[in-house]
Amino acid sequence: MSCNCHDDPLVPVIAVVDRIREDTADIKTFQVKKPKEGLPFTFKPGQCAMLSVPPVGEAIFSITSSPTQQNFLEFSIKNVGKVTDCLHQVEEGTEIGIRGPYGNNFPVEEFKGKDLLFIGGGIGLAPLRSVINYTLDNRNDYGKIDIVYGARSPKDFVHSNDLYHNWVQAEGTDVHLTIDKEFEDWKGNVGFVPQYIEELNFSCDKVALVCGPPIMIKFVLEVLEKLGFDQKQIYTTLELKMKCGIGKCGRCNIGDKYVCKDGPVFRCDELGKLPDEY
Amino acid sequence: MKKIAKDKLSLLWKKIAENYQLFLPITEGKVVNFSIWEEGAEVDLNTLRTVNSPKNIIFPQTETYLKFKKEGKKLNLEVVANKGEYVVFGVRSCDVASFKLLDNVFLDEPIDKFYEESRKKGLIISQACLNPQETCFCNSFGINPELAPEGADISTWELGDLLFWEAQSEKGKNLTEALGDILEEVIEDEQEKLNQLKTGIKDRLKDLPLAQINPETIGGDLKEIFDSEIWDELHRRCLGCGMCTYVCPTCHCYDVKDYDGNKGGERFRCWDSCMFSDFTMMAHGNPRTTQKERVRQRFMHKLVYYTNNYKSYACVGCGRCTEKCPVSLDIVKVIKKLGGERNEL
Amino acid sequence: MEKIREEIKEKARQALASKEVDVILAWEKGELWYDSYPAFFTKEKDIDSLVWDSFCVNNLSKYLLEYTMTDKKIGVFVKGCDALAFNQLVQDNRVSRDKVVLYGLPCSGMVDPDKVRTKNLNQGLTEIKKSKDKLIFITKDKEITVPAHEVYYDKCLHCRYPNPVTYDQLVGETVAAEGVLDDSVRFSGVKELEELSCEERFEYWDGQFSKCIRCFACRNVCPACSCKQCTFDDSDLEVLGKAREDSEDKFFHLIRAYHVAGRCIDCGECSRVCPQDISLEKLNRKLIKDINELYGEYQAGLDPSAKAPLGTYKLEDADSFTVGEKGGKKREKNSKR
Repeated sequence: MSCNCHDDPLVPVIAVVDRIREDTADIKTFQVKKPKEGLPFTFKPGQCAMLSVPPVGEAIFSITSSPTQQNFLEFSIKNVGKVTDCLHQVEEGTEIGIRGPYGNNFPVEEFKGKDLLFIGGGIGLAPLRSVINYTLDNRNDYGKIDIVYGARSPKDFVHSNDLYHNWVQAEGTDVHLTIDKEFEDWKGNVGFVPQYIEELNFSCDKVALVCGPPIMIKFVLEVLEKLGFDQKQIYTTLELKMKCGIGKCGRCNIGDKYVCKDGPVFRCDELGKLPDEY
Repeated sequence: MKKIAKDKLSLLWKKIAENYQLFLPITEGKVVNFSIWEEGAEVDLNTLRTVNSPKNIIFPQTETYLKFKKEGKKLNLEVVANKGEYVVFGVRSCDVASFKLLDNVFLDEPIDKFYEESRKKGLIISQACLNPQETCFCNSFGINPELAPEGADISTWELGDLLFWEAQSEKGKNLTEALGDILEEVIEDEQEKLNQLKTGIKDRLKDLPLAQINPETIGGDLKEIFDSEIWDELHRRCLGCGMCTYVCPTCHCYDVKDYDGNKGGERFRCWDSCMFSDFTMMAHGNPRTTQKERVRQRFMHKLVYYTNNYKSYACVGCGRCTEKCPVSLDIVKVIKKLGGERNEL
Repeated sequence: MEKIREEIKEKARQALASKEVDVILAWEKGELWYDSYPAFFTKEKDIDSLVWDSFCVNNLSKYLLEYTMTDKKIGVFVKGCDALAFNQLVQDNRVSRDKVVLYGLPCSGMVDPDKVRTKNLNQGLTEIKKSKDKLIFITKDKEITVPAHEVYYDKCLHCRYPNPVTYDQLVGETVAAEGVLDDSVRFSGVKELEELSCEERFEYWDGQFSKCIRCFACRNVCPACSCKQCTFDDSDLEVLGKAREDSEDKFFHLIRAYHVAGRCIDCGECSRVCPQDISLEKLNRKLIKDINELYGEYQAGLDPSAKAPLGTYKLEDADSFTVGEKGGKKREKNSKR
């Protein structure tokens, strides 16, 4: 029987979890590549992919590595549910299913020549890291880079190697870390991300990229507005329940836009036109 | 145009069933639904509206599409082949129109290959509605139940003891040819009678109680409609069941799940309903926590969101929700409310 | 009914005006003759659209669940079956009696639109009048009178409590319990099934449950299904999968039947709303019949202070699982263990 369903967008391809790094008590970063070598697909910073761990199921994750990383895809995954729990049990060398890439991306071409302000909270650093590493790998195309990142405690920072070494050492790049409350031996800032942004008093000529818990995003947007940022300068990336990743299963919509297809990256003025249901 | 005497239809079924899986409106107990025809099945061509729309033939309620096997760290995936060729006979104009609305979603890039395959293998034979019912309002969505609907491969009309038969597509012509022994040519006199029949149906439509329902009366932009006060009251009686979504020919939301069968298993997709509380539930929260938000989502999708994306309403006026909702929370009432005074019947 | 309708409206208006209640739960009319549906009134002026006719089949008691966490005082109109449902919700501690003012409505039956359509009485219909035990279907040029029981819902033909068993105020006069059938008729469908062999019974229920489309209307309309969150609503719990599988369809219905056993008031709403015409009433009546036989006659919702047969344990309780034949036949009184 002739059937061209093998290239259906719902059908995953096999990939292998090559290396696993434990970032925090509940976040692991997975390096995924094709069984022999290389990327299962090409993508742009901000896009997502659906990972399958049969028989538990599928879930969508943002790709945290940069497209400039040609050897593997990276996913930083917090253990919060059924699929993520299963992924956390996976050992190096295990085969999983992958399909993607899904959604739009951060418009890194438009950002060229501009100063960038990355604002992340908790696991929300994952999609931003793809853009950060992309811009750092194309350093001359971009202006000053500021990275503000907050978590509950220093133990909850993901990608600490980037935070403490790679990004700090990168040219024209400042990393501003903050934690929610006092912690032993912590000499950095203590306080929530929105307040910290206000204290840092960034000039409003930058492009801001925001990702974190919904409540953090909400307050960060208020602060940025206070600092004089135009909504057109602010980008965020959203997450809703997604099953198909291709705008058909019907559950990740905000108004007439599907987060999996029309998002996950939204410019704030566009987001403002949509119903407040996310 | 061809014809066949109605008392010879079982011959026709038999002949079609030789080469295709044949779906017909079949009575089971008090309920008429499209099911696979077998010799002796109680075919009902009079009931206008099957309980379930024929969407479950082209987009099954549960559809396994992947089999997997795990051996140690190895994972093996195998795509499950789709069904064979089939014919659906007796599809009403509204339901034929609903297929196009599903096509808009599933055949939009990236194309859903399982659905595409299912559509390619199907042959749709429409049946004109001689007696549109009081709950019908297909006309409000530009559907003419007396005509051959766009999307049908063959169209049929009943007239007295006869059934008229006209091929509309290449597929339809081929089947018509293959049934050459059974079908006869229509004579001029009969053609004239058929035209009268069509005019008669058209006239009856005007007198239907819901004939004046007009979705175009819905004013305001997306956000205004979203923020409308009508949702505060309208949702109250909703019981939160999924009846409307499951009997609706245009609802197409689905879930993807794995079935765990020890070392191997299957991945399937199945219908889901935005009326259910877990529809948008995530590990870290739910953007729609109340029934008000769910009810609003369903009707916004049908009347605003879908319309913005595909330039067409996601309703065909089949009247299934009007008839089946246990608490009469149907799309007619929503259109009326959103359209305000202009929709007073 | 027309006269009572005005009385109802007056009652509702007064209750809102005097602030006896904050909200009135009653019915409203839609665009079609059979279309009477639940409505929530908070303003006196809206009461004009309140309706009481032969199509007010919806049980409003279930909506009280929504108000259990508020301090609102609710006025609700209840028919006989609705009053049983109300009592059951009180017995299950899901609704507090003192927040509710019950307006009782004697009801001799509600009309099944499908039966009207089958008799073709809906063609050109302009009005339906009720006169004692007859219904008059009025069109532009004729009036057709039919005995009411010919068009009543099946479930109404078996009604044992046409008058509300509890109320604060009664509107209209009580109706005679005529047409009420005894247990031999009520359980006749169950008895027929009991006569069948195990295999035949399985085949029967297999055929019934395999029709299920999993819309959950039976559950959501059921006044005994009053859980805040149903275990079937979270497929991640893996209690019930989402796929339409014969085994899972059966599982859903059987578990639900057992969960409402002893609390099912036999209102027949599950069967009424089922789009696929699954004989859910037979399933529930089988359990009711068994409970009656095993633990003595019991009608759920009759007395909210009564001890529920499956919620209490008595030493002399029948032990049907260890003794007797398959199907739980009652032990002979004097037989020894």
